[in-house]
Amino acid sequence: MGKHTLEAVTGPETINEIQQTLEQAFGSEEVSEYTKMCIELAVSEIGTNIIEYSGDGEPVRLRMVVDVAGDNVTVQFTDDGHPAPVDLTQVSMPDETAEGGRGLAIAFRVLDELSYTRDRDGNHWTLIRRQSE
Amino acid sequence: MGDFAARTTKSGVVVVQPTGRLNMVAAPALRKQLNDIVEGGESRIVVDLSATDFIDSSGLGALIAALKIARKAGGDLRIAAPTRQVSTVLELSNLDRVLRSYESAESAFDG
Repeated sequence: MGKHTLEAVTGPETINEIQQTLEQAFGSEEVSEYTKMCIELAVSEIGTNIIEYSGDGEPVRLRMVVDVAGDNVTVQFTDDGHPAPVDLTQVSMPDETAEGGRGLAIAFRVLDELSYTRDRDGNHWTLIRRQSE
Repeated sequence: MGDFAARTTKSGVVVVQPTGRLNMVAAPALRKQLNDIVEGGESRIVVDLSATDFIDSSGLGALIAALKIARKAGGDLRIAAPTRQVSTVLELSNLDRVLRSYESAESAFDG
């Protein structure tokens, strides 16, 4: 039980720190391997989006909170970058020859819930995956 | 030379083996390495994914980009021995048809 938090200014190491924070959160929790794989993938996609686009290549302040509780794994990202130009009702997997644009669609596919909100603190992404067993 | 181990088989196929995590950190290096191979005149490429623990859309993008330039140059890019995580990601992104996987790097260009 309990939450694991990462506070970072985004840079080349951030995606690895995100991964490590997730591993620490799973630590001794009884989460199925498949659920771990799904969350790990979704977190990498959303984390990459924030690192690459939220500040247009410039660093942003990022906060990640992982909560493994009961049957749910919830990951929340907050960053102080510009608003993300996304419409989560319009996410679809691009054509197989596309070189990009799959991140959100992949995250969507492996999560039970994905939401994005914007307020005066910045961007908030919430990722939820329920354990499969 | 690129970031990842590469070798050429007897039949002239270049095999590249990315290790670890093919994410936003490693994907650009793989993309460049594969691009350099094609520009160097070799367009039959196998990406051996047996040591790739993790792939996400960044890694997929590098493979698709290289697949396109290899085909444009008259060759092809094929993947071999993907780990479970990689196979799962290929399936859920509908790329398992365009990036069909072969059991081993040696068999990828047989037949």
